[in-house]
Amino acid sequence: MLKKILFKNSTNFQFVFATLGALAGLTALCLSFQLMMDVQSFHSGEEELFGPNSLVIQKKVTKLSTLGMNNTDFTDQDIKELNRKEFITDVAPFKSANFQVAISEVKGDGLPPFYADMFFQSIPDRFMDIDVDWEWNEYSEYIPIVLPRDFIMIINYGIAQSQGFNQISEELLMAARLSIHLKGVEKKDIMIGRVVGFSQKISSILVPESFLDYSNAIYGSGDPLPPNRIFITIKDDSYGELEDLMEEMNLDIAKSAIDVVKIKTIIGVIIGIFGVASILITLLSLMGFVQYSQLALSKASYEIKTLLRIGYSVPQIVNTFIKQMAVIFGVITLSSITIMLCVKIFLVDTWLERNGIHLEESSIVPTILLALVCFLIFIISNYLNVRKTVRNLGK
Amino acid sequence: MTLEFENVLPFPLQDYPHSEESVWKRQFKISFPKKVLLNASSGKGKSTFVNAVFGIRKDYTGIIKLDGKDISALNLDEWIEIRRTKLSVVFQDLQLFPQLTVWENLTLKNDLTGHQTSERMMEMLDSLGIAEKKNQSCETLSLGQQQRVAIIRSLLQPYELLLMDEPFSHLDEQNAKIALELINDETDKNQGGFILTSLGSSHGFAYEQELNL
Repeated sequence: MLKKILFKNSTNFQFVFATLGALAGLTALCLSFQLMMDVQSFHSGEEELFGPNSLVIQKKVTKLSTLGMNNTDFTDQDIKELNRKEFITDVAPFKSANFQVAISEVKGDGLPPFYADMFFQSIPDRFMDIDVDWEWNEYSEYIPIVLPRDFIMIINYGIAQSQGFNQISEELLMAARLSIHLKGVEKKDIMIGRVVGFSQKISSILVPESFLDYSNAIYGSGDPLPPNRIFITIKDDSYGELEDLMEEMNLDIAKSAIDVVKIKTIIGVIIGIFGVASILITLLSLMGFVQYSQLALSKASYEIKTLLRIGYSVPQIVNTFIKQMAVIFGVITLSSITIMLCVKIFLVDTWLERNGIHLEESSIVPTILLALVCFLIFIISNYLNVRKTVRNLGK
Repeated sequence: MTLEFENVLPFPLQDYPHSEESVWKRQFKISFPKKVLLNASSGKGKSTFVNAVFGIRKDYTGIIKLDGKDISALNLDEWIEIRRTKLSVVFQDLQLFPQLTVWENLTLKNDLTGHQTSERMMEMLDSLGIAEKKNQSCETLSLGQQQRVAIIRSLLQPYELLLMDEPFSHLDEQNAKIALELINDETDKNQGGFILTSLGSSHGFAYEQELNL
């Protein structure tokens, strides 16, 4: 009966507008938040190996470099400067093997006979985010190796055809052992290696840092080689800074790596703008609802005063009001989540899929929590407003 | 319950002369249970008196005390508690909910206090001759009928003092007497008292005290 008395004068027009505003605002907010999460979880496949936002930089090889007049090594000063850049969160120079390396097949493991000169490099273990054991020590059964994906392409679509041997699948290459020929100044050895992963991002042959340190000490010439490639991790949405850095240090970065950063930055900025707009819409709709409840209260001021005079308490009146608001907000929140999911699944995901962009499904739980937080903010702000107004009417 | 006035004078009445017997600008104390008539002609401040004691009007000088406590110091929650358990009222403008039926107006109050049974409420409606209007919305009733609903509503709670502001102004003398009998019975059951303001008629009731304005 209290509900009948308190809401009898409220107009449908205002209510419909406040509801539609809140629905639009909250839906936009949920959608932009969910998309932001989806983009954050965007994987190029490579990131499973090296973690997100990491890329390799090297200095451009110019005519002068070819003539030996321009050095592409990174100096200590260069590395210090990179460390100082705010958008770079991690810097790791490549270490190189200081001795000759070659690989050949292990007989009986399914690979055709071959022998190839190689080189080894390593990056710190913290960049190697792979499932297999990347640890190596003197007692390890084999040396784990990460090959550039292009390597197997060259073998399968180039060498195999011209040399007349069978193509090799990634699975076979990873299952087979390899003989690693290490040739130092005074010492030669053959060890066993195994391919544990392929990389598109790094056109280098990577081994664990511990192995490289160990083998450099035994087979190396003694002088450590200065790094000419550096692995860096950058913050999200920092394409602009990366471009400036390339200019400044005359860097060469794989185009695919830059494209990922660029796309992520652009999407991040667009969703960010959309997110800010939705926050504004949500705040406006919140104000709309506070206004609606204010109007409903002022239209029911006679009833509220009378109820307080015949003994009804402030909480009894406020709770009746807020319960009604909670039902309305609850329906709005649930509808927003439903609409957000429908738009995401049937429009956005379908569109991305059609355009060949595969986003890893991220959890919708944080978005639902965000919607619930908005629901609570709506309820609390309305509760405070209603309580204040009712108390003022009772004075 | 005790009601005390210490030199109370409402702002709108400050420029008017007040007689020696007037409650304004005087010191007095009434201890309830007691049945009191406040008799005065129009414009002397009967509604102001009722509303000031009920805590709705605060535009006066002096001090009003209920049970020895200055009512200007009471907060809203304390007022609500007093209005639910000790102090009941029939407003001159009745303050019913016009869109609710007679029965809804009554149950809205009785659901809060649980003071009377449905049967007793029906008896009251019956005794005041408006039982057949039970399911009619209040806005469709005559002023006299609405007055009777407001009187019954004021009896649906425990009270030590019932304030009534010209409750019979739209009732004939016969109905006023019946209503006053009902009020008297309920007041005795509550072991409380009342102050009834009137334009001059005592409705044939023997009051224990009479106040003037």
